[in-house]
Amino acid sequence: MRKYFFTLLFLSKSVMFAADSDLGSKIPDLKLKLLDGQKVTIHELLKDGPLLIDFWATWCKPCKKVMKHLNQYHLDYANKGFKVLMINQDSPRSMGKVKTFIRSKKFDFLIGLDPNQKLAKKLNGLIMPTLILVAQDGTIQWRHQGYMPGEEKEIEYQIRLLLGLESESLENNKL
Amino acid sequence: MKKYISLFFLSSLFSAEFDYNASIISNFGDNYDFYSYAENQLNLNLFYKDIEAWVQYEYSNPPEIGFTMNDIRKFRIEYSQDDYTVKLGDIYEIWGRGLVLNQFDDQSTNFDNGIRGLFLGYEKGPLTLNHISGNAEIWNFGPDLRTPYYNNSHNVIANHIQYDWASYSLGVSQLLSKEVHQKVFGSDAYVNHSLKGIHGSWTLNNADIYLEYVDKISTEKLNLLYDGPHDSLKTGHGFYGNMNFYFGNFGLSTEYKRMAFDVGHSDFTADDYGNRIAFQAMPTLGREQNSTLLGRVAHQFNFNDERGVQISLNGTLLNVNIVSQYAHLSRNEEWQSLTLFNWINSSIEGYLPSSDPSALPYWENYHEINGYHLNDKLYFKLGRGENKDILKTLRYFEGEGISVNETWIHTDSTEWQDDWVYLDSSLVGVDTFVYKVESKMWQVSKAITYPLELSYSFNNGYNLAINFEYQEQTKQNISKGNSKLYSTSDSSWTLINPDNPDSFFVQKDNLFSYGTKQIDTQINRLVSLTIGNASKWSITFTHDQTNAFSGPTTIDPFYNPLEAFIYGDLKYFTGKRNKIEPPAFIQNRWVSMEVAYNLTSSQRISILYGSLQGGLYCSNGVCRQIAPFNDGIKLSYFAIF
Repeated sequence: MRKYFFTLLFLSKSVMFAADSDLGSKIPDLKLKLLDGQKVTIHELLKDGPLLIDFWATWCKPCKKVMKHLNQYHLDYANKGFKVLMINQDSPRSMGKVKTFIRSKKFDFLIGLDPNQKLAKKLNGLIMPTLILVAQDGTIQWRHQGYMPGEEKEIEYQIRLLLGLESESLENNKL
Repeated sequence: MKKYISLFFLSSLFSAEFDYNASIISNFGDNYDFYSYAENQLNLNLFYKDIEAWVQYEYSNPPEIGFTMNDIRKFRIEYSQDDYTVKLGDIYEIWGRGLVLNQFDDQSTNFDNGIRGLFLGYEKGPLTLNHISGNAEIWNFGPDLRTPYYNNSHNVIANHIQYDWASYSLGVSQLLSKEVHQKVFGSDAYVNHSLKGIHGSWTLNNADIYLEYVDKISTEKLNLLYDGPHDSLKTGHGFYGNMNFYFGNFGLSTEYKRMAFDVGHSDFTADDYGNRIAFQAMPTLGREQNSTLLGRVAHQFNFNDERGVQISLNGTLLNVNIVSQYAHLSRNEEWQSLTLFNWINSSIEGYLPSSDPSALPYWENYHEINGYHLNDKLYFKLGRGENKDILKTLRYFEGEGISVNETWIHTDSTEWQDDWVYLDSSLVGVDTFVYKVESKMWQVSKAITYPLELSYSFNNGYNLAINFEYQEQTKQNISKGNSKLYSTSDSSWTLINPDNPDSFFVQKDNLFSYGTKQIDTQINRLVSLTIGNASKWSITFTHDQTNAFSGPTTIDPFYNPLEAFIYGDLKYFTGKRNKIEPPAFIQNRWVSMEVAYNLTSSQRISILYGSLQGGLYCSNGVCRQIAPFNDGIKLSYFAIF
């Protein structure tokens, strides 16, 4: 009986937290290494504009499906300073294939490396894909877990909303 | 009580002074096998100026796998200023590609090689220095599928220096561990390990190369009261190389590994120690599959004694993505069984893996095309995977036998009672005949798998996805040669036909059966159909079917309404079917339905009802047998905020 109680307790607490959460928390200035060997911090990447962070791995099917769309958004909104940062979580088991995968697809977005999920744990991106949309001031604006075909529209809408290309009223209508 | 207070205290820290994020994972399962579990985990990250804190609280009673827990499971406090970092608590680091240190906490296999202790880091420009010291408790599974059984505790000191400049990188690392190793038989072993590693990389425009080497020495302290040098136990080394080439829309990845920390012709057990330690989790050179059926025939990699090559091609042609992969692995030695219990090894010549069954080779190749069509609304994937794995050798001898024929003549005789009696004889000749002896028996598994996927997105946000996987697998004991038995009295292999040493045979025994009937080929089919509304909900129906089992045929004594509905069994609903005497067709099928609903964009709940087939599950090179889930319900909740 105790286990049911604690399950319910956790669920109710989390729903309460999530409902109260205004997603206004600031993203920490975490260090990361990019695929090209460059070392950067999250705040450095935010200098030009908003950032969409996505956690992925080469063996994650939905991660690969959403990549095509995210790369397009990275290109489409680059003139607004917007960037997409794809944080790879392949372990040494498949780490050797990350570069060949990315270069064969000619993706333009930024690739970060997080082979033992240090960053993923700090940003709670343990389910793949997890998307975190961060405003230029570091405020987390939107989080999303998983990807089903069709959700790219919602992702683009959130980006446009943050960039001021979409109005809040439209969001209300949409939801 | 303190634990509950700390949980509420932590949750109340969600105030404006801290930046924070958190996640909650809750899983609950209850099934016919009388194993119900409830596991809840709260991860909380706090950020305040230069300080970061991480707490993981777990209430699991019991968890799906692992120990029952109601406590803070993990924690860490980090302080970073300028170029320095100090961490106290549970440390997870990876150096190079993990030949010396690769730490992770994988709850799906219950593998955790984190170190609780101190981390010091310095990073300025191209230079990185790291130091770790602390203790680790690493648990391994024994006979129980759900609760770990063996513990290895390590007291660790490790250091790493890396220098990156331009397109080059060079790192050296060292790890010292004092291990208390729990054995199956006998008292614990006290083992010291010393690892020294070096890794380097070089990146060019159209190619890059990565190399890593580790040398390892282990000593054992046999007498705890003796402070002198320990007895040398085992020495070994590991090497990993990766070269990538890029041309146009294609990338070619080549990998080589040679892990030689121990030798063995069979599986290593808890009684084999002094070899690779659990902090060493290096590349396996097998494809990390995302197909369920390919995952079930995954090779159990041997980090102690294995070499191999892997070639993988990724590319895009006419908007179609192409994946092609080939891997060949084997042990570092070929083995010969002089008797049934006395095995000797000889090193494989050269650096490549062997194809000889005694070296337990493994081959896999996988080819896939995938892409989008119809204005990116239709996604398709067609794959083909082939695996061949020599699982074990039961006897493996190839050599010569000698047969000796003596010729005697009678040299003296006399007549006695009307008969001749020989009084003496003499050996006049000995004919020796050398013949070939072959006595081999090994177990082989072969599988061909076709994973297919189609999904279509409609304009109104709905999508439909069909996954179909088809697999044919054979598992056989192959016996070969002219002998099956070893005679301890004659100290030789006994020919099946002593009069004719050329009587060779090849025998193949199928290991799949259904009930009492032998089955040549196991055929597995997995179909799943998903209907979803983007960002809101999805319903997935899964049907998993086999025609044979490698072990005893499973018996599912319970019949649930979902199974009855799928098979149109009206008797179930009219009360004419006895629910605890299900029809025979249900025994080799597993049916489940899962409904997932996004409460918000960062909260997801899912409910699964039905049965799931158990089997081998591998992650990060760590494999474990998953217990089947029979006629039950699983509830999962995940939230980040």
